[in-house]
Amino acid sequence: MSSIALDSVGLRFADGTRGLDNIDLTIADGEFVALVGPSGSGKTTLLRTIAGFIAPTNGGIRIGGELVAGDKTFVQPEHRRLGMVFQQHAIWPHWDVAGNVGYSLRLAKQPRQARAARVAEVLELVGLAGMEKRNPSTLSGGQRQRVALARALAASPRALLLDEALSALDEPLRARLRLELRTLTRAMGLTVVHVTHDRDEALALADRVVVLDHGRIQQVGTPEQLVTEPGQPFVARFLSDATVIPGKVADRRFTAADHVLRLTRDQIDGSHVDGSGSIAILPGNIRLHPAAGTGPHGIVVSSLFGREGSDVVVTWDGIDFRCLVPGRRPAVGEKFSIEIAHALYYPDDTTRSSEGPSAELSVSPRAEESETIAKEPMQKRAR
Amino acid sequence: MRGRAPSRKQFLFPASTTKGDRSRWDGISWLRVAAWLFCASVIATPLSAIAFQAFSGNHLPLLLQGDVLEAGLNSLVSAGLSATGAVLIGMALALLLDRTDLPGARILRIFMLTPLLVPPFVGAIAWLGIAGPAGPVNRFWSDIFGAPLWNIYGGDGVVFLLTVHSYPIAYLIIGAALRRVPSDLEQLARIGGAGAWTAVRHVTIPLMKPALLSAFTLTLVSNLADFGIPSIIGLPERYVTLSTLVYRYIQSGTVDAPLEVVSTIGLLLLVLAAIAVIADTLVSRRKLELDGGTTITVPLRLGRAKPAIALTTWTTGLALTALPIFALTTQALLPAPGVPLTWENLTLDSFRRALGSPSTATGAINSIVLSVGAGIICAIVGLTIGTLITRLRSRDNAILSGIALLPQAIPGLVLAVGWLIIAPQLGLFNTPWLILCAYVMAFLAMVVQSVNAPLRSTPLALEEAARLAGASRARALFDISWRLAAPAAITGGVLVMLTAVRELTISVLLVAPGTQTIGVLIFNLQQAGAYNAASALSLIITVIGLAGLGLTARGIRA
Repeated sequence: MSSIALDSVGLRFADGTRGLDNIDLTIADGEFVALVGPSGSGKTTLLRTIAGFIAPTNGGIRIGGELVAGDKTFVQPEHRRLGMVFQQHAIWPHWDVAGNVGYSLRLAKQPRQARAARVAEVLELVGLAGMEKRNPSTLSGGQRQRVALARALAASPRALLLDEALSALDEPLRARLRLELRTLTRAMGLTVVHVTHDRDEALALADRVVVLDHGRIQQVGTPEQLVTEPGQPFVARFLSDATVIPGKVADRRFTAADHVLRLTRDQIDGSHVDGSGSIAILPGNIRLHPAAGTGPHGIVVSSLFGREGSDVVVTWDGIDFRCLVPGRRPAVGEKFSIEIAHALYYPDDTTRSSEGPSAELSVSPRAEESETIAKEPMQKRAR
Repeated sequence: MRGRAPSRKQFLFPASTTKGDRSRWDGISWLRVAAWLFCASVIATPLSAIAFQAFSGNHLPLLLQGDVLEAGLNSLVSAGLSATGAVLIGMALALLLDRTDLPGARILRIFMLTPLLVPPFVGAIAWLGIAGPAGPVNRFWSDIFGAPLWNIYGGDGVVFLLTVHSYPIAYLIIGAALRRVPSDLEQLARIGGAGAWTAVRHVTIPLMKPALLSAFTLTLVSNLADFGIPSIIGLPERYVTLSTLVYRYIQSGTVDAPLEVVSTIGLLLLVLAAIAVIADTLVSRRKLELDGGTTITVPLRLGRAKPAIALTTWTTGLALTALPIFALTTQALLPAPGVPLTWENLTLDSFRRALGSPSTATGAINSIVLSVGAGIICAIVGLTIGTLITRLRSRDNAILSGIALLPQAIPGLVLAVGWLIIAPQLGLFNTPWLILCAYVMAFLAMVVQSVNAPLRSTPLALEEAARLAGASRARALFDISWRLAAPAAITGGVLVMLTAVRELTISVLLVAPGTQTIGVLIFNLQQAGAYNAASALSLIITVIGLAGLGLTARGIRA
């Protein structure tokens, strides 16, 4: 197993669009990293760049210290010694299970016996012991994905790349494979890069999660960090369905632009410098109270049942607030007044747009820039 | 060439624009160079030779001269009328056989496709036995009414036979398109208040328009230069088409510089074909995206008209398909034309005579060697070109694919003329290899097209997985895509073989002493008046063709 280091990797497609923008990321030996982001954010592009199917236009990539992509070098995918599992499993239909799993060993000119032994070993690892002679078309979806995993692992790759590897599977099976994947990769000490559009999967599996948008890294952190201290309004909205409202801070209070919402200092975490910025309100930090009389109130426009509480959208003065409501499930059309328990404040950063995000494995990058950041509200917010 | 998924583009192997690719001169590049050389020599050279010959002297006045003008008009009219008829029959068949509760549709479909397996000139010989001036129908009619019912000789007969031999292709194209129209769309129209047939008229048929046009273009181009039918059916009534005219010019020195004149005619045909293909491409460019239908198609009910429609369809179907084969069989078993069909008169003499002649043996061997050779070459080259153009991104893909598929849109007559021009320079004149070259040129597109479908639908991830497993670009291509498309290439190769073994138009122009093929042999027997021997040989190769295709079809399913 090896580390993977990306050094200001950029990619510009032939038509001029940016695929990746200044990606700095170091994945430690044995680390499980998940790449998440909305569709078109560049997460698959980044994975395929690591795999060697796309050559970056600038920057360098090192796998286990060896430069595989740089100014003068480009190592072809077949020489990178990586394993990869694709969303649609990509099992070669003209070979049996052993033929699929043992292909990389055959290419490496391993003797037949050693090959058979290794194939049996890997198949046992993924729970398919004795399935060597099976025709792929007789396998179930889950079994095929296991074959794909065994195939990726057969030649002892330096790192395992998963491209939406579990996304094509049905839910109960997916959860089981997720669990098995976690156990297996931990036991083997595998370096894993896992691309997924499933936020919960990324948070559940990974040591660290990388949030991408528009080809840039928006934030890197442990799942806990990303959920409790999203570094940007975008991350809060993408990972936690936060409601983001622009406005400005002045006289120790936040005034929303074009909205009646006002928040006092106690309600806001984060930097308190006067100026314009945005607040992000996590669904769990909104309380709904039955509207009394003619005071300011919102109307429930959607209410979906969930295990931890109802997923409710309340429209208040033109803005949709996404709330997590425990207990009784509000009905559509009901009127509520909205109380914000806490909001995260993000001052507008003029330098950010030109410089690009700093993508170290930091918490919110702004923390270093602003000394007035309030440290204590972070703990206060814990429920 | 069509229907390339644009979304796949950026995920194909790294383009040659990115750095690090300078060293990318690998096995694939050699393969591409080889494919280009092959296409240049076997396809581009004969075609440019035609253009060169045509422009080397000004023969345009000759084109406006009586003979050529009349032949051109006849070609255009007969091809246009027969293509229209074929498309109409094809559409009616597609709707009736694939969308209604017509009784016995499955069996009738097999019957209706048989003309596809019978070479057009064999069809002409067979139909002569039914509706020829001395055929049973006309003799019976003459006995009662004093005049024959319908003499198949002449322009109307040519149009009729061209239609009979091109509607199966039209039906296959239209039927495939019909199956791609999701029945959800039709059912939505029903929910919206349309009756069953209204839904078909308003939703299904408009969606099939590109297929109707493709079917029309394809049948038009192939009918434009068919040789067998106009020469057997048209010439006795002095109904001359371009192909029979070219044959006459080349066989007998009726004009000065016959090759130049013929090239001019060829170029004209080429331009006509090009116009048809361009029109087709332009129309199908405005392609409608159709999602795969998931709903099960509910057959339309014919209702009260069912018995009448069933009777008409079955009668017409059997008359068009079973009758000629029956006629061919009786002719083959009778000693001479006009002998009444009774048990005592039946004889195997015609077979004995046809098979016993030494020229039959030569013809059979020539045909088998040439068609097997063409099948093998086309399968290998077609698979290579198909793989290159579908699995790898390169700027020259569109052109390479265009050149490989081009001969399909060019009348076989033109291809033959092209080879005739360059043969002396290549030292191929009067050798069977000339025919082989022309066969490969004419039928390569069959394999390219049959491998394109499986190659396009193979997910790219299959090759990428092989790359990551340590296979080079060429190795991944060979181990995965190539292997997966091999069955389709073999099927395509067998199709080439079965088509080439019964070919007439190209062979008849390129034939030399000792290189005659079975098709030419039958044609010559027919021309020499040995109708029954010609019928016997025709019957044999028809049966062999049917059996061969039946086996191939079974092989595909297994």
